[in-house]
Amino acid sequence: MRSDGERMIVGMKDAVKLVGISVIVYCAVLVCTLFLNYRMDLLTIADLLETEQEMIVYKAQKATSVIICLITGGCLLLTSVVTLCFYIKHYIDTHKKELGILKALGYGNWRIAGSFWVFGSSVLTGAGLGIVTAYVMMPALYRVQNKDALLPDLVVRYHPMLVLWMALLPTAFFSVLAIVYARIRLKVPPLRLLKEDSMPDGKARRAVAGKEQDHFLRELKRTTLWEKKILLFFMVFSSFCFSAMTQMSFSMRELASEMMGAMMMVIGLVLAVTTLFLAVTTVVRGNVKTIAMMRAFGYSQRECCQALLGVYRPAAYIGFALGTVYQYGLLRIMVDIVFRDMDGMPAYQFSVPRMLLSLVCFAVLYEILMYGYSEKMRRISIKEIMMGAE
Amino acid sequence: MIELQNITKTYGSGESRTQVLRGINLNIEEHDFVVILGASGSGKSTLLHVMSGLEKPDGGSICYDGRDITQLSDDQLTTFRKENVGFIFQQYYLLPNMTVEKNVKMGADLADNAAYAEMIEAVGLKEKRNKYPNQLSGGEQQRVSIARALAKKPNVLFLDEPTGALDEQTGRSALDYICRLYEAYGFTIVMVTHNQNIAEMAHRVVVMNSGQIAEIRTNEAVKSAYEIGW
Repeated sequence: MRSDGERMIVGMKDAVKLVGISVIVYCAVLVCTLFLNYRMDLLTIADLLETEQEMIVYKAQKATSVIICLITGGCLLLTSVVTLCFYIKHYIDTHKKELGILKALGYGNWRIAGSFWVFGSSVLTGAGLGIVTAYVMMPALYRVQNKDALLPDLVVRYHPMLVLWMALLPTAFFSVLAIVYARIRLKVPPLRLLKEDSMPDGKARRAVAGKEQDHFLRELKRTTLWEKKILLFFMVFSSFCFSAMTQMSFSMRELASEMMGAMMMVIGLVLAVTTLFLAVTTVVRGNVKTIAMMRAFGYSQRECCQALLGVYRPAAYIGFALGTVYQYGLLRIMVDIVFRDMDGMPAYQFSVPRMLLSLVCFAVLYEILMYGYSEKMRRISIKEIMMGAE
Repeated sequence: MIELQNITKTYGSGESRTQVLRGINLNIEEHDFVVILGASGSGKSTLLHVMSGLEKPDGGSICYDGRDITQLSDDQLTTFRKENVGFIFQQYYLLPNMTVEKNVKMGADLADNAAYAEMIEAVGLKEKRNKYPNQLSGGEQQRVSIARALAKKPNVLFLDEPTGALDEQTGRSALDYICRLYEAYGFTIVMVTHNQNIAEMAHRVVVMNSGQIAEIRTNEAVKSAYEIGW
């Protein structure tokens, strides 16, 4: 039985809020399970290959599977780790008082941090769903990969090891990571947690210190942008994902298959929207009091939005540009190195119209989301904040 | 200057419906110092929020020099607050990630007040202008919020229990700063409090009870916190 004190710490309800991590893990596990399973099944036909052409296709598909797993899995694993650490830090920041009281009452750091294991359950949810979806999609992938019948027929086999590697070990890893990271963050005196407002540390203060004569709004923009660099990362990452995955999906339709193209498109959109949503929600929630005070003093809705949301716009478009360069480089490597020996491989060239189409779609999505959040900011009740009923 | 007529305000619906303001009529003259006194739940804070344009009443009118602010849109109300009012709250609401100077600039920039440093000096925080709110005591934080409110050169300063979070001596000191600045700059003060002693500092004391004005008392002159022996 959990004591009353422990019930005050992290519960399953809090873990549910980590839907962002579940989504990212879902995408990662879906892609990795699909292609690892495919690679493992490919190995079973190695002895059946007779012609040189079959051998080239076999090697190319083996290499592609590994590259896709490494790139997608690696990127998404890194993003999941960053997101988890961000969530835990955010959780501790927003529950300082409760945690401070527990520490003041005598609860140890490890005892409190131990309850953070539940954040690992979001990984299990995403991974479980990812594996199920992967096995549902697998027959279609196998058909598409061998549509020209260049290889002997492949049968989908179930590999239990993948469940261990794709779901159980990541869940254990993320649970331990959550506990260890929470323990590190909790290593502060109880009184510091009990103090309501956090003071930026020396390093952050130096980074955001502006000129004395700077206008307040300019100073606020600078503080918003640099004080939480992780949000800046999420903004850039979101547009990076959108740009890279949508443009790559267009190319994949020609280079690989329609299915791979559609899969990349969906993953790109889901990742972009999830990370953008996560970042903007945090910006707005973290600045509720600032927005309320600015509006009470007479700053307009437009000024509040420009200072707190508009400041990320350049970063988002830089992320888009980086994503464009990344997908071009990656596809060039794939076509020039991995598939160089394959006959009938279509030529890859950078497409400006597709890039522009992707940019327009991103701009529309981004601006709609920003508009939605500016309306949300408009609805922040000044009185509720003043009465302390956040 | 400020004329309230038959102001009503209700919160909630159904069984939890509570009428917080029941037909308030009140006139406040320019450069007046008015204290709204009342027990918790008497409607004094709601009256201050409605009067300052932070929220709209359900009925009645609030005229500033003949202009009814209950008829203004949200954007117009924002402009109205920008041009006319300043706030000091019990919980200060300073921006934790900005220095004293930047917090005061938040108010000063709205009025293009380049001489905001004077205000920091006036509340005795010149030496601490580069400190962050968490590096200041409660009294110092409240002085920053005083400087921030006055740096925007308001016509009316609204104070919601400004000493509520301070000990007696620090509260007295904060009020003394407000009184001195009131004499120097000549704005209008509307202050909400439940402290009888502080009420003696004002020209007029509006006593509220159950959402209605129970009594309006007039004092001969404004006294400092030290003069009233608080």
